[in-house]
Order: sequence, then structure tokens, then C-alpha cells
Amino acid sequence: MVSWRGTRLRDALRLYVITDRTLARGRPESEIARQAIAGGATAIQLRWKTGPLSEALRVGRELRELCSREGVLFVVNDRVDLALALEADGVHVGVTDLPVAETRRLVGDQLVVGFSPETLEQALEAEAAGADYLGVGPVYPTVTKPDAGPAVGLEHVQRIAAAVRIPVVGIGGITAENAGAVIRAGAVGVAVISAVVGADDVRLAAAQLRKVVDEALAERQ
Amino acid sequence: MNPWSVPRLHLITDPAVCSFEQLCEWLPRLLQAGVDAVHLRAPGVPAGELLKVAAELRRRIVPPAVLLVNDRLDIALLCQADGVHLPEQGLPVRAARELLGGGRLVGRSVHSVEAARAAAAEGCDYLIYGNVYETASKPGAAARGLDALREVVHATHVPVVAIGGITPDRVPAVVRMGAHGVAVIRGILAADDPIAAVRAYRQAMDEVRGDGDSRDIKRETGGAGRSADNR
Repeated sequence: MVSWRGTRLRDALRLYVITDRTLARGRPESEIARQAIAGGATAIQLRWKTGPLSEALRVGRELRELCSREGVLFVVNDRVDLALALEADGVHVGVTDLPVAETRRLVGDQLVVGFSPETLEQALEAEAAGADYLGVGPVYPTVTKPDAGPAVGLEHVQRIAAAVRIPVVGIGGITAENAGAVIRAGAVGVAVISAVVGADDVRLAAAQLRKVVDEALAERQ
Repeated sequence: MNPWSVPRLHLITDPAVCSFEQLCEWLPRLLQAGVDAVHLRAPGVPAGELLKVAAELRRRIVPPAVLLVNDRLDIALLCQADGVHLPEQGLPVRAARELLGGGRLVGRSVHSVEAARAAAAEGCDYLIYGNVYETASKPGAAARGLDALREVVHATHVPVVAIGGITPDRVPAVVRMGAHGVAVIRGILAADDPIAAVRAYRQAMDEVRGDGDSRDIKRETGGAGRSADNR
């Protein structure tokens, strides 16, 4: 397995789609992911908050296979053991999850480690502890994560992106209408849940977002 | 793993019943009184906090007692636990073995003969089966009973630890069904005197083992029991 760490990672973070069963309206994760990838998603994250782990394993195996076939980054949220069991490409942790340094210690130097900082200090600490990228947000108000706190805005993305060397993705309330501003604030990509998973046409929603991200990145260069 | 090195008296944590602070204070005496294994179980506690608790428990749980982490293999690895206890719907045993390496305990909770056979085929060191009696830890869950326990014991070669409403008074009946040991939450942590409770469990287990030995029963009834060579 070729590691996604390093130069490959930036491109893999352009359109980062996170699974959410409650928003999927009965459509299986693998089907949502397949359509999202067809539309231009570059990364898929398995986020499993409720339900038996055996189900997460089953879904995760499908996503693992799909992402390998399509050349898309596959990340598991929170559970480092699940990420290892599924042979995921990466794991994503937040401030109440396992610390970045411990996560890095468990996964070795091949896997991507992502972190969601709440403050600039946490962002800098995570970078020093071995994080490969940061998910910063919520950029805009969001209903997907009721525990995510108030929107931090574009300035927060700008401040963190300017302070760290590792790539930053914006997350929280991002749509095709506002994604361009997130990229212009310094993010290399956007992470979305409802804008893609909750869309009637998942493929179209992903394609529209990807187009906006690519155009904004091209303008920036 | 030699089945007779599998712990017999398992204490399972529950922060709703007993805080980790309180538990840490009691731990040296609980272990001295005869707890063989402590399972760190705290559903809903975020992993970062759980890791801190695990490190505290690790400092206090010394051989011959063992520390097992419920469900979270990543935390078991980080705190250098003696093993992991997997829920019936948890990670595969193979993943646990590969990541933990040799010499660690891997157990699984089971709630049926079928699940017990599947877990045994995966190579578990022990099984936890329950709830044998009604328990406040699983309100509304009907007792599965002693006959069902016996069926599970006889379904595999793997030692079975019984759980669910087991008081010291009920230990002899449970052990006579072939259970290798018992797992307890409230029977110890909600007892007026947790240390005395541990002694009572220990004594009940050692006594019944001394007279009508459970392994003989298992062999006589034609179950797939361990051979006398293991003794």
C-alpha cells in the first residue's frame, strides 16, 4: 500500500465526504460513496456514532474496497482500532478522542492522521504531534453536528491555515455556494456531510462542489 | 492460552454505579480480596478521557490480576492492558490478536449458543455469557437462566464466565453448570462493603471448586469439556 502522506494528500483533500446514516435516508453508505466518488469526491470518511461495531465493520469493508478501486482516500473517524482493522488509509480524531501523538504511535508512519482543532494552539500542537491535516470548523452554522458549537467563520480557517504547514480542510455548513470562500481563506479542500449525503442527487451535488473547489484552487495559484 | 490461567472473578466497571476515583481508591483492597480481572467498561466516555482512566487503572492493577479493556482495542494497546474484551458485535478476534501480539487475553461476550460457537471458532480465550439472572445493569432483559448457561458451556471448549445478577449465594449453582468464573458489576461496586463482597464471591467460588468440581460435571455429562490433563 502506498501511503497517502506527503504530496498526494493535498489533492486527496479537495472534496472530503463524511458518511452519516441519519442523513442518507435509507441509502446505503457504499451507494452514497460510489455516487459521491463518481461526482468527484477525493476522500471518504466512515463516521460511526451509533449502532453495533459489527455493522461499521461491514460498511467499512465495502468502503475500503470501493476507495481502493477508485483511488480515493479512505479515513475512519475516532476509532483507531477500527481504522487498523479495516486497513484504512487514515484516521481522524477530535479534541475529546485519542490524542494525536498516541494516535500516531498506534498507526505508525504510513497512515494519515487528521485532527479537528478548536483553537489555534490545538492546531499547532497537533501539527507538532504528527497530524497530517486539520479539519477546521464549523465554518458555517450546521445541523449535522449539534455538539460542534457555534460557527467559527472564515477568519478562523484563515488564521489556522496561515499558521500551520499541513493542509487544512474547512468543514461545517459548506455548500457549492459558499465553498469557494473557504478555499480562498486558505483551505485545500472542503469536508461535507449533508451537502452530499443528504442530496437527492449525490453525484450531482459532489460534482458541483468539486467544480467550485477546483476553480477556487486554480484561481489561487 | 491455558484455560486455567483465564481469570475467574471479573469485576466490570460502570461509572454510573461507581466513579473511577472511588474505584481507584478501593482497587488495592479489591485485588487483595480476590478480584482476578478488571474490565474497563465505560460506554459513552470519550476516548481521550478513557485513555487517562485506563492509564490510572494500569498503574494499580498488577499481576496476578489483569486489566482488560472493553471494546476499544486502541485503548487496550495504548495503556498496555493485559487484553481486550470484545462485545458480541465488536471487532474480530483476529484483528485483536494481530494488533495485541502474543500473551494477551482476548474474550468475547456472547448471548447464544451460536454466538459462543462462532467466538470459539475465532479463537477467543474465554467467553462471557449472560445475563444469567435478572440484573439492574440490564433493566428489562429477561434472565437467560442456568440451563441456557449450561448449554453455552457445553457448546465449546472455551471457558465461560457467567454474568448478570450473580450474587455470592448464586455462585455455587453457576459454577455447577460448568461456568469457569463470574463477572460482576453491582454485586461488588454497589455493595455496602465491596471488599467483603469480593471475599464472599471468592470464597463461594473456591468452595464449590473444592467439592463437586464443575469440570467433572462437564466431563460426565458428555460436554466438549477439557480433559483431565489440563488440570
